[in-house]
Amino acid sequence: MAFLDNSGDIILDAVLTDTGRFRLAKGDGSFKIVKFALGDDEINYGSYNKSHPSASAYYDLEILQTPVLEAFTNNTSTMKSKLISIPRTNLLYLPVMKLSGPTESETSGSGQFDGSFTVLTNLATAGDSNNNGILDSKDGWVGTGSPAIKGVMNGYEPFTGVGSYIRIDQGLDTGEIANTYTIDADLNETQYIIEMDNRFGSIVSIGQSVAAKSANVSYIDDDNIASYYLSKNTDPEFIVDVSDASTIAGPRGTSLRFKIQASTDLATSTYLFEQLGTTGYTLKGNAATVQSLRYIDSIIKVTGATTGYSISIPVRFARKV
Amino acid sequence: MATTYKTFLNNDITSTKTLLHEAIPLTGALVSGTYGTFPNGDNIKNYAHGMFQSIYDYPYLSSSANHIFDLTVGYSGITGAKSALSSSSNIQNSKKINMYNQMAQVLMGYDQNGNILPFDRDGNITGGGEKMLDAVFINFGRLLGKDELKKGSFSLTLGTGSYASANNSRIVIQDTNAQNDFRVNSPAGEYGILSCSSGASGTPSCGLIFYQAGIAVVSSSVFQQTTVGGILNSTSGSKAGAGYVDFGNTAGAASIRQVMSGSAISGSCDDFRHRIYNMSFNNTTELNSTIHFCRINHNDYNYSANPTYLSSSKIVVKNNTQDAPVSYITTVGLYSADNELLAVAKLSEPLKKDPTNEMTVRVRLDY
Repeated sequence: MAFLDNSGDIILDAVLTDTGRFRLAKGDGSFKIVKFALGDDEINYGSYNKSHPSASAYYDLEILQTPVLEAFTNNTSTMKSKLISIPRTNLLYLPVMKLSGPTESETSGSGQFDGSFTVLTNLATAGDSNNNGILDSKDGWVGTGSPAIKGVMNGYEPFTGVGSYIRIDQGLDTGEIANTYTIDADLNETQYIIEMDNRFGSIVSIGQSVAAKSANVSYIDDDNIASYYLSKNTDPEFIVDVSDASTIAGPRGTSLRFKIQASTDLATSTYLFEQLGTTGYTLKGNAATVQSLRYIDSIIKVTGATTGYSISIPVRFARKV
Repeated sequence: MATTYKTFLNNDITSTKTLLHEAIPLTGALVSGTYGTFPNGDNIKNYAHGMFQSIYDYPYLSSSANHIFDLTVGYSGITGAKSALSSSSNIQNSKKINMYNQMAQVLMGYDQNGNILPFDRDGNITGGGEKMLDAVFINFGRLLGKDELKKGSFSLTLGTGSYASANNSRIVIQDTNAQNDFRVNSPAGEYGILSCSSGASGTPSCGLIFYQAGIAVVSSSVFQQTTVGGILNSTSGSKAGAGYVDFGNTAGAASIRQVMSGSAISGSCDDFRHRIYNMSFNNTTELNSTIHFCRINHNDYNYSANPTYLSSSKIVVKNNTQDAPVSYITTVGLYSADNELLAVAKLSEPLKKDPTNEMTVRVRLDY
């Protein structure tokens, strides 16, 4: 997209998104605009110069000169960062979301979890009771030797064993405020939106067997992006208060925890791997042999429905060659 | 409670309709000779069925070509209003009748007995009067005509000189004052009367223009002198002594009526194109718009979820709690009830938002 002409009056470039046109074409009344939000995708607040020698009128000089791109029609490519309404004006800290890994202790230290996840998509890759695959006894931990590799999930049978899962903690990530303080109620996130490519998998809880639960898809858009809306009240299997160790340094809010179940397309076929993925990825399996894998790299986006803060998690879907 | 969405109230959304006009000038050179030797220009498409001819703005085999208009001719075979040109010995006689009848039934409709009405010269169908029984039809493509032609904007200049110097003398055909004087008794919508504003004897009517259909009907009388039932005066480039413009491509050989009866439709269209000096009109696009007033109050949207807004959870635009929060708006997203982004609007420059200001952003979506 080109930049908008910013030499004269302020103009507004408005377009329907692909989802908007899709719903309009359906003609079933699903195209109805009922609310708005504001975004600041292009703004780098790092350019806000609070020490400008010419005083406060010049603090945001660079920000106000930021050129703005024309509107994208792809609904998932814009409004990445939203503005927030909070009646109070005296806030100095706002909550963030932070990946806390399979467990907090695994997010630091050499050879530990590196912030990305791998989902093993079929039985031959994940392994069975004879330990022919990558996982050790299907519980999700990879390799029994040292260093262990964390963040590998059993996407074929996610409800078997505790295994790795994605954990995102929310709160004030600052050492200025002790984590024993309770986060303000209006900054405590109670609803999360998870967006992921529906062709690759779906969201499930971390519980085992009877405690397991698949999240309900709220909507799948024209780009196959599925949206899941999870609420602390209705989905306690996914959202809990942070009561244990966390990567959030200060006061903590809630924690979102989930696993990924591989789609049947990925479990039963190499078609999507050939279309969208590549080869050359290896993992050392429990059988101590290096497994060569096909893989597809994707992103799972998690957004706090209340605070608007979002985090993108890289996820690799892998299948034995 | 922190929020990111604000719901529109009933008085925040309104709708409006606006008409957008474009001026469409067409030069005669484009339709006769720019892309090849007349009459076989690369932008002229003839069909095996031979019932009409399509004119493009570029060689039509190119994907860059745009369809401008179609040309065809016809004469009436309607019982009780049969054209004198109709004869079974004519080339493509039935096709010419079919073309006239097709255009007449679509544009003029039927009488109370279900008979096709012929084109009426003044639009007063019930009052009887003179009919146009042989005519040239100019069907503008929707690409140019859009929703409708603008009333009072049509102008067609035709050469009435000799065949070799067709444009040495000219007549101008217009729908003068049609914005104030048009007819609504057509099943195809509104239409105006075309009249000859120069080169004729007075300002006689010589055709009809159907605005929503985007079709101009030009009577063959525009190339005939008044002495033989046409509209041209005795000095308007007509064939000396014969009462008509030497329309055919064999100099002096034929009037338009002789060509229409003696030549194929494509040949008649070629000869008509040869005499188009220029043509212009304004089209009309009807824009239905919904306007969303995004009202941003003083305590709305003063914070941001932008990752650069925080450093170790601390707001980077504030030094202490007394500082006012500030954010910058670049985008307005319009959402459905289930939080799907349906439309997006971008501001050409960031707007500063802090607790000391309020604003209303007006987002207009055209359909």
